[in-house]
Amino acid sequence: MTFKARLGGALLAAALSTTAFQGAFAADDTIKIGVLHSLSGTMAISETTLKDAMLMLVEEQNKKGGVLGKKLEAVVVDPASDWPLFAEKARQLISQDKVAAVFGCWTSSSRKSVLPVFEELNSILFYPVQYEGEESSRNIFYTGAAPNQQAIPAVDYLAATEGVERWVLAGTDYVYPQTTNKILKAYLMSKGVKEEDIMINYTPFGHSDWQTIVSDIKKFGSAGKKTAVVSTINGDANVPFYKELGNQGVKAEDIPVVAFSVGEEELAGLDTAPLVGHLAAWNYFQSVDAPVNAEFIKSWHAYTKNDKRVTNDPMEAAYIGFNAWVKAVEAAGTVETDKVLDSIIGVSVPNLSGGTSTVMPNHHITKPVLIGEIQADGQFDIVQETPAVVGDEWSDYLPDSKDLISDWRKPMECGNFNVATGKCGGKGS
Amino acid sequence: MMSAFIFRALKSHILATVVVILAAAVLVPASNLLLPADHALHIPTYVMSLMGKYLCYALLALALDLVWGYCGILSLGHGAFFAFGGYAMGMYLMRQIGSRGVYGNPDLPDFMVFLNWKELPWFWYGFDFFPFAMLMVLFVPGLLAFVFGWFAFRSRVNGVYLSIITQAMTYALMLSFFRNDMGFGGNNGLTDYKEIVGFSVQAGGTRAVLFAMSALMLALCLLIASAIVNSKFGKVLVGVRDAESRVRFLGFRVENIKLFTFVVSAMFAGIAGALFVPQVGIINPGEFAPANSIEVVVWTAVGGRGTLIGPIIGAVLVNAGKSYFTGAFPELWLFALGGLFIAVTLFLPKGIVGTIQGGFSTRKAIKVASDAEKGRGDVTPIAQAAE
Amino acid sequence: MTTRHFFRILITLLAFAFAAPTFAQGNDPKPLFDQLADANFNDAEKLVGQIAATGDTRVVPALNAFAEGDLYFRKSDKAVFAAKAAASQLELIDPVTGESAGQVAKGAVTKIKVNNNLRRAIRAALGGLTLMSPDRGARLAAADAILRSPSAEALELVEAALAKESDRAVKARMQEARAVSLLSSDRSVEEKRAAIETIGKLGGRDALGILNSVSSSIDASLKPDLEAAIASIQNEQQLWDMAQNVWYGLSLGSVLLLAAIGLAITFGVMGIINMAHGEMVMLGAYSTFVVQQVIRENAPGLFDWSLAIALPVAFLVTGAVGLVIERGVIRFLYGRPLETLLATWGISLILQQGIRTIFGPTNQEVGNPSWMSGSFPLGGMTITWNRMWIVVFSLSIFVGLLLLMKRSAFGLQMRAVTQNRRMASSMGIRTPWVDAFTFALGSGIAGIAGVALSQIDNVSPNLGQSYIIDSFMVVVFGGVGNLWGTLVGALSLGILNKFLEPSVGAVLGKILVLVLIILFIQKRPRGLFALKGRAIEA
Repeated sequence: MTFKARLGGALLAAALSTTAFQGAFAADDTIKIGVLHSLSGTMAISETTLKDAMLMLVEEQNKKGGVLGKKLEAVVVDPASDWPLFAEKARQLISQDKVAAVFGCWTSSSRKSVLPVFEELNSILFYPVQYEGEESSRNIFYTGAAPNQQAIPAVDYLAATEGVERWVLAGTDYVYPQTTNKILKAYLMSKGVKEEDIMINYTPFGHSDWQTIVSDIKKFGSAGKKTAVVSTINGDANVPFYKELGNQGVKAEDIPVVAFSVGEEELAGLDTAPLVGHLAAWNYFQSVDAPVNAEFIKSWHAYTKNDKRVTNDPMEAAYIGFNAWVKAVEAAGTVETDKVLDSIIGVSVPNLSGGTSTVMPNHHITKPVLIGEIQADGQFDIVQETPAVVGDEWSDYLPDSKDLISDWRKPMECGNFNVATGKCGGKGS
Repeated sequence: MMSAFIFRALKSHILATVVVILAAAVLVPASNLLLPADHALHIPTYVMSLMGKYLCYALLALALDLVWGYCGILSLGHGAFFAFGGYAMGMYLMRQIGSRGVYGNPDLPDFMVFLNWKELPWFWYGFDFFPFAMLMVLFVPGLLAFVFGWFAFRSRVNGVYLSIITQAMTYALMLSFFRNDMGFGGNNGLTDYKEIVGFSVQAGGTRAVLFAMSALMLALCLLIASAIVNSKFGKVLVGVRDAESRVRFLGFRVENIKLFTFVVSAMFAGIAGALFVPQVGIINPGEFAPANSIEVVVWTAVGGRGTLIGPIIGAVLVNAGKSYFTGAFPELWLFALGGLFIAVTLFLPKGIVGTIQGGFSTRKAIKVASDAEKGRGDVTPIAQAAE
Repeated sequence: MTTRHFFRILITLLAFAFAAPTFAQGNDPKPLFDQLADANFNDAEKLVGQIAATGDTRVVPALNAFAEGDLYFRKSDKAVFAAKAAASQLELIDPVTGESAGQVAKGAVTKIKVNNNLRRAIRAALGGLTLMSPDRGARLAAADAILRSPSAEALELVEAALAKESDRAVKARMQEARAVSLLSSDRSVEEKRAAIETIGKLGGRDALGILNSVSSSIDASLKPDLEAAIASIQNEQQLWDMAQNVWYGLSLGSVLLLAAIGLAITFGVMGIINMAHGEMVMLGAYSTFVVQQVIRENAPGLFDWSLAIALPVAFLVTGAVGLVIERGVIRFLYGRPLETLLATWGISLILQQGIRTIFGPTNQEVGNPSWMSGSFPLGGMTITWNRMWIVVFSLSIFVGLLLLMKRSAFGLQMRAVTQNRRMASSMGIRTPWVDAFTFALGSGIAGIAGVALSQIDNVSPNLGQSYIIDSFMVVVFGGVGNLWGTLVGALSLGILNKFLEPSVGAVLGKILVLVLIILFIQKRPRGLFALKGRAIEA
C-alpha cells in the first residue's frame, strides 16, 4: 500500500500543532528549531520527506528528554519551491520565531538565496543535500556530499573495477551538474583520459523525451572501448531517462550508468527490473547493514505509519546534522549561535552506515562513500565502501579554487583562505 | 455627466491612495528606525522588508492593470519584464561586490570564476555604474516589450493568442536563463549582494530607504498611470479594449496605442523588479516562471482590474495571505490560493475595488465586460467608461 | 575490467572441453558453490569459472539465479542455495541438483552479492556451458553472449559447437560469434579478412564497436579492409540515424498530440482556457496507478491488461471530474474566456495539492506491461514498444475523436452549439448539457492520455504542469478549433524539436521551438489551420 492519506492527516496535525504555538510568546521551556523545506511546488517531491524526517528526529529527541532539559519544538514553514520565498521564510524563522537553528533547503539556489540572511542575522543552517561545493559559509553546515565525497570515488570505481575508458557526462543544465562535470572532466583528463573519450550532454529540467540522448549514448558507446555514463540528471527527469534506457536495452553490463541524484526515493517511481546493475554513489543506502540503520528504518516506518517508506541519503545527512547540533548545543550549554559554532567543530556523531561522522573546520563532514548497484526491488546492493572521506569545499580540480581552503576555527576563521597568497578572501589583490 | 462624476471620484480615490502610500513611505521606516524594538508600534526589519516586497508586487500588478484593465491585453508574461528589471539591478549589485567574492576575483562575479570564464561578457559592461544600470532597468524591459509588441500588435495578434505567446515568451526566457552559458548565473541566479551605491544592503537604514523608494515609485507610477488613463489617450485606450475594430475604423492607429501602453507597463514592471531584488537579496530564473506571471494576473483580478488601485490592494492582500498561510498552514496554502481564484472569478468578477465602486451596476457591468471580451463590440464606449 | 578473468574462465573451460569431451560427474560443483559464501567479488569470479569448468550443465539454473541476485547462503552453516520467494519465506533450492531444501525465513539467509563484472562473467560462463545445449533458445543466447564479449579463447568452443549445429538461425549467429572471436585470435590474415567481411555484413552499432575495438591491434595489411568495413557500416548507419530521428520526432509529436488533444476540445472547440487540463492528464495517470495497485494486490495475472482496464476507468474518472468542474464553475464563465483561465488555474492548484495530500508528493510507480517493455530492431533502428504503442494509440484517439465529431449526433450538436449557441438552442438542443458533456469529453480524453503518458513519464502531482504549456503551444500553433491543426501542429513540432536537438542540444532546441512558435503566430495570428469566418475575425 502506498496510499498516504494517513500521512496527510499526520502532516496536517503537525502543521496545526506548530501554529498553535505561533504568535504566542516564545515559551522559555522549549527550544525552537526551523524546518525550511518546500511542501508545495516542484521541489515538494523531494523535500517533504526531509520535513517528515526532521519532525521524527525532533520527536525522538524529545522522548529522550530534549536538549538542555528543554523540549525541542519544530517550526515548519513552506517556502513553496520559490527561491526568494526561501529568503523571506528564513528571515521569518530567525527574527520572528527566534529559532536556534534551521534545517532545510534542497537546491543550491535555495541555499544561495538564504545564505546572506543567515550571515546577516547570525543563525545556523544545516544543509542536507549533496551539492557542487565551492562554498563555505560561517553559518552553514554542509552535511550532504561535496563532489569529492560522491563523484570522484564513483568514477574511480568504474575505472578500476569495470575498466571504463570512455565517459558520457550527462546532466541537467544547471549549476550542480555543470560544476561536477567540470571537476570530473579535469579529474579524468588528469588520469590520462583523452578529450574525445568524454562526451558532455545537458538537458532541461524535467526533460521527458530521452530517445535521442539514449541513442547518442549507444552511438558513443560503440567506439570499441568500455563506456559508462555519469549521470547528474536531476530528480524528476530520471524516471523517463531510466525507462528509456531499459526499453532501448542499454544494460548495465554493457554501458553502466552511475547516478548522483538517484536514490531509493526516486527509484520508488520505477520498475527497476530492467535497471539491475546500474549504479549510484551516495554516502548512505537504505540497504546498509548496520544496527543503527535498522533502528532508524524501524522508527521511520513507525513514525510514518507506512512500512514501505524508503529512507535515503539526504535523510541520513539530516540525521547527522541534527545530532551534531544537539551534541554541540549540549557541549556549549547554550543555543547561542557563536558558542554553538565554536563547539560544533570536531563533534563526532554516529552516521547510519555504522561509522561516525565528524564536523570538520570547513563546515563539511566526514563520511564514507558507498557505491551501490540497483536491485530489482528498488534497493541498492552496496558493491564498494570507502573509508570516511573529508568533504572538500574547494575542489582541487578547478583552477581558481585549488589554492583555497576553509577553516572556521580561531584564529583563521576564514571560508576562503588562499594558501598561495596567505590571505583570507580568495585571490586577494 | 455620470462618467465625468465618476472620473472625479476615481481621481480622488487615487489621490487618497497616493497619500496613504506616501504616508507609509515615511511612517514605516520611521517606526522601524526611530522607535525602540519593544515599542508597541515598532515595525521589525523583517516585516518592513516583507512590506517592501509587497509594494514591489503591487507595482507589478499596477503595470499589468494598465495593459489588461485598460487596454485589454492579458499579458501572461509580465513576470519577464519584472525579472529583466531585477536582473539589471542584480547585475549592478554583483558588480558592487568587486573583489569581496569568495574567490576574490576583482573582475568577475563568483559564478563566472568557478565556471572558468576568463573575461566579463560584453553585456555586463557598464553595470558598474549605477545610473547606467538604472537606465537599463527601464530600457531592457521596455525594449523587449517594444520588439515583442511591435510584431504582435502589427500582426493583430490578440485575445487568447496574445496571452499564450506572452506565456511562451516568458517560458522561453526562463529556459534560457536557466542555462549557465547565458552568463547570468544559471539557476542559482545572482545573489549575496554587499552594497548599493555605497551602503550595505543589509543595514537597517538601507532597508528603510529601499522601502521608502518602493513606496515612492509605486505612488509615482500610480500617478503616471492615472494621468494616462484619465487623459484623452486613456479614453481611446478603453475604446481599444472594448471595441478595437471600431477604434481602428475611426482612424486611430491601434497598434501604436497598444505598443505605447505595453512599453510603459513593461517599464513599470522593470522598476518593480529592480526594487524587489535588493530587498529579497536574490534574482534567479524562477521569476520568469509562467506560474508567477499568472499569479500577478490573479492579484489584479482579486483587487479589481481597470481600477488602478485594485491591483495594489489585491497584490498586498494575496501576498500577505501567502506569507501567513505558508507559515501557519503550509499544507493548505494551495487550497486557499486555488479557492480564492475560483471564488473571485465567480463571485467578484470585478474584484474588490471594482465591486465597491460598481455597486448596484455590477450585474450590468459583467454583461458589458463579457460582451466586450467576446469581441462583439456592440457596447457603447460611454457605458464602459462608467466602470 | 576483467577480461582477464573472463579469459581465465574460458581457458579453463576450454582446457576442460578438450581434456574430457565426454564429461563425467567426477568433479562436483557443490563445494565450489559453498565457497561463494565467503568470497569477495574477485574470488567469486574465479569460482564461477571453476564451476563452469566442471562442465556440469545442471548448474545452469543456479548460475542464472546467481546473475539475478537470487543466490543465498544459510547463516547457520554457510551452505549456498538458490532461492525463490514463497509467501513470506524463501524456498531454498540446491544449486546443483535443483531439489528443494525446504523453506526458511528471510532473516536466516544472506544474499550473495553480484556486481556488473560478476554478472558478465556469469553470462560468459553460461554462454560456454550452453553452446551445445539441447535447447535452441539457450544456444542462441549463448552465441549472443559470445558475440557481445568476444575473445580469442571462445573461438575453439564456438567452432566445436558450430560443427554440431544444425539449426540455420543459430548457425548464422554462431558464424558471427566465430568471426568476432576470430578477430582477436592469432589466426591467419586470410581468415581474419573473411571475418571482417562477415562482421561488416552484420552491420549495426555492435559490429561497429567490435571492429573499432580491434583497429589498433590488427595486422597492418588488414587495415584497409577494416576501415572499408567500418566506413560502410557508418554510411549505412547514417541513413538509419536519419530515419531514426524522424521516428523520434513522430513519437515526440504523438506524445504532444496526446497531451494536447483533450485541450483541442476544451480550449479549441469550447474556448475555455483550461489551465486544469494538465491536471486531468495527471488524474488519468493516477487512475492508472490505482488500477495497477488494485490489480497487483488482487489479480496479479491481469497485470498485462492493466492499461486496457485503466483506459475506461481514467476516462470515467476524469470525465466525471470535468463534468463537476463544468457544472460547478465554468458554466458561469462562458463568454469570459480570460476569466476561465483564472478559475481553471485555481482548480488546477487545488487538484494538484489534493493529489499531493492523498498520495504524497513523491513519484508513484506505474509499471509497464510486458507488451509495453523493450524494443525491436527495424533495420538499423531500434524501436521501443512503448513509443510505438503510444504513436498508434494517439493516432487512434485522434481518428476516434474525429469520427465522433463529424459522424455522431453528439458531435453534430457539439459543433452546432459552439458555432451558434442561440440557433442551436432554438433548434431544441439542450445547450447546457452539450456544454457539460463536451467539457467532460475533453477532460476524459485528457485522462486517457494520462494513461499513456504514465508509461513514459513520472507519475507525480507535477505531471500536468510539465505538459500544460506545450499543449497550449500545440493547439495555438495548429489553429484553435481545428483537430487537424492539432495533429499537424503536434507532429511538426515533435519532428522540428528532434531535428534541432542533435545540433543545438536539448535545452536550446526547446527554446528555439518556442521562439519559432512566437514568430509563426506573428505571421499567422490564427495558427496553422485558421478557421475562416466572421465569428472568429471580429
